[in-house]
Amino acid sequence: MPEEERRTFWRKPPHQNGHCQKIGAKRLMPIWCGGKYKSVLLVLAGLLVLDGVIWYLILFPKGADGNLELYFLDVGQGDSQLVNLPAGVQVLIDGGPPNSRVLSELSEILPASDSYIDLVVMTHPQLDHFGGLIDVLKKYKVGAFIGTGRKGEIDAYRELIHVLKNREIPYIVLEEGDRIKNGDNLFSVLSPNNQNLLSKELNDTSLVLMLERGGLKALYTGDIGFSVENYLTGKYDLRAQILKVPHHGSKFSSGAEFVGEVKPQVAVIGVGKNSYGHPTREALERIEEKGSRIFRTDQNATVKVVLEDQNLAIFAENDGY
Amino acid sequence: MLDFIISLRSNKIGMPLHDKAFYSVSFFLIGVLLASFINDWQQKILVTVLVTVLVAMVFLIMRLYALSTLSVVEGLPYKSFWLAILSLGILLGAGYYFVFDAEQKDFNIHFGDKITFTGIIQKVSTGLNQQNLVLGLQDPYQGRIRITAPRYPSWSYGDLVEVQGTIKKPSEQSEKYFEKEGIFGTASFPEIAFMESGRGSPIKSLLFKIKGFAEATFKRVLSPEKAAFMSGLTLGETAEFSKEFREKMSLTGTSHLVALSGYNITIIGKGVMLALGLWFSRRKIFLLSTLTIILFVIMTGAEASVVRAAIMGFIVLLANQVQRLYSFRNAIAIAAFLMILFNPKILVWDIGFQLSFAAVMGLVYLEPAIRKLFKVSPKPGFLNWRANLLTTVSAQLAVIPILLSNFSSFSLIGFLTNILVLTFVPATMFLGLLVVAAGILSYYLAQVIGWLANIFLSYEIGVIDLFAKIPIQISVQSFSLIFSVLYYVIIITVILYARRRKAHVLA
Repeated sequence: MPEEERRTFWRKPPHQNGHCQKIGAKRLMPIWCGGKYKSVLLVLAGLLVLDGVIWYLILFPKGADGNLELYFLDVGQGDSQLVNLPAGVQVLIDGGPPNSRVLSELSEILPASDSYIDLVVMTHPQLDHFGGLIDVLKKYKVGAFIGTGRKGEIDAYRELIHVLKNREIPYIVLEEGDRIKNGDNLFSVLSPNNQNLLSKELNDTSLVLMLERGGLKALYTGDIGFSVENYLTGKYDLRAQILKVPHHGSKFSSGAEFVGEVKPQVAVIGVGKNSYGHPTREALERIEEKGSRIFRTDQNATVKVVLEDQNLAIFAENDGY
Repeated sequence: MLDFIISLRSNKIGMPLHDKAFYSVSFFLIGVLLASFINDWQQKILVTVLVTVLVAMVFLIMRLYALSTLSVVEGLPYKSFWLAILSLGILLGAGYYFVFDAEQKDFNIHFGDKITFTGIIQKVSTGLNQQNLVLGLQDPYQGRIRITAPRYPSWSYGDLVEVQGTIKKPSEQSEKYFEKEGIFGTASFPEIAFMESGRGSPIKSLLFKIKGFAEATFKRVLSPEKAAFMSGLTLGETAEFSKEFREKMSLTGTSHLVALSGYNITIIGKGVMLALGLWFSRRKIFLLSTLTIILFVIMTGAEASVVRAAIMGFIVLLANQVQRLYSFRNAIAIAAFLMILFNPKILVWDIGFQLSFAAVMGLVYLEPAIRKLFKVSPKPGFLNWRANLLTTVSAQLAVIPILLSNFSSFSLIGFLTNILVLTFVPATMFLGLLVVAAGILSYYLAQVIGWLANIFLSYEIGVIDLFAKIPIQISVQSFSLIFSVLYYVIIITVILYARRRKAHVLA
């Protein structure tokens, strides 16, 4: 192959550099056609664009539009919810199983420039709730990690703790009666108390959170069963417009009395392909009886609830209503 | 093979050393090829000896004939004499395969029952839902097995573990694939207990750490899909691809992008050359791009397949650097020889190896032929489109039979998607290298470069998503060897025809 033809692979032969002359802008030639300056100019232009992007991000921060957004993420069989508080504060409750789905979901919701999550909550140490959190803690900077202090019984839990230590994320232990406040948004911890925390049934140690903002209330229940439900029913005013249905719609949760107390307008079930029969017919019927609209992450994908001027707007796929 | 034919046609006197080297290597490869196709031991020996004798006879008869007629075909008698001697290389190649095979099959694994055994983890690949481990068994057992384990706890190269479970023989379909890797058993989700770490080679363990760092950096600065795609492009690591995305890539004929072949490495090399072309002299650029390739190999953990790809990529760069075609021919033969020496089973059972080789052959021999026949302008065109189109067409034409016989489909829309995607792949890969390099210094720096990479990745994934919706592809039920041979004969004829035309024009 002739010498010149070979050259074209990575370098323009001299005659092709002559396109500058064709432009006819002779005054610009010394700058643009100088070869050496051309690359400097390109780098400068690149930096300028980057600078613009950074200024844009500073001047128009995400989440400043002032609406409360609740996401129920489709992570397969498991639970994961994101709360976007109006000030741009993010709270992630559980991370689903270890399949990286939560990362995909988060990257669709959060802008590429956002690498910070304020709070990550683990309701209880079971793999379908914290598995995905290991990925989250590795990828994002996290303000604090919140849990009940109850230790997990599987190897993956050690991995979680290892990542927490490695990335120096503080682990804050909360129990019944504790509160998290941000502006006029309030998370109250309704469970577990000491007794529930020691329960043999790991599901009943779940952190139960009530989110309040103005008149809106949303209840996050982890995997609690009848016994904790009954405990809560006797003690608290559970009325809430939005309910994260406990334990993926298990038949040993969502008791008639409990659901009646909460009386949600919207009930969301975090569920995927599974061998447990979740969500069960029994649980679905008990919730439907109270006139709630049921959304399931396996059918409706990720469900987004937005509070706009005291009105609830729901975004979901395959919404049959 | 092509050069083989060309040299037979040219009538040089005697046989220079580089030719001797080339033919001995070629005969060696033919021997390995023969040995891999036949299963039975005795048959293998018999067939190889017969073929060797036959080939030698043909060349000897040619010499005798030439001598007896005292023809004016200068040089041929001498040459055929040498070829007859060198054809003994077939025996050597086949013999090497036998020894390698016997050595490799010298394992001691207890199949079928639940047993407890110990071993050292030699390879870890982490997918979305699980980890695949390669375990080297320890006394009283011997051999390598593959273990499927849950995603957590994470295991590392060099961990000594105690395993309780049942080892099964690989299924018939996957047997050859595993055999090529020297794996003779599989165990799924056994109980694994950690005993000790750091039992592997310190160099390998460092290399794997570097690869792990690269992957982790991509994951931190990019969304999971983009990080996976970037890992595929730059590290050839596809374990974290979703099934849907794999499907899309195959529909759009872009799977080769993430199979880190010689092709990718060539792209990196050329990209670096292009970027540095403004500042440095040709020789320096060549050295720098070689250095970049070495860096990439280290970044990927220097796995055998990547080293192979690097050698192939390096050879293409070399071809650009060195104009003498015969030295390129030798380089490619020696590269193949070295790889085969390392593991003779890849010649027939490793599709990646075949694709790499065929594509490189296409780039080197078919591309100039197409250029000539269609009188393509030597200008690279806007954003290099013409060069990319030519590269794509010649590489794809060269691999069609391999794709059809292994995956029974070939994407026609692939020509278009490849041009659209390939244009930006070098830049993306280079940014990938920068992201990792920046990640060593500061997370924020890596993040900023990551945003740039993000733009390219969005575009590339976007193109793949879009064209996966309108796939146009050829599918076949089965593709027999005869068709492949026929196809390549046609391609070789076209190349030879193009070369003659060139000679004509020059004359």
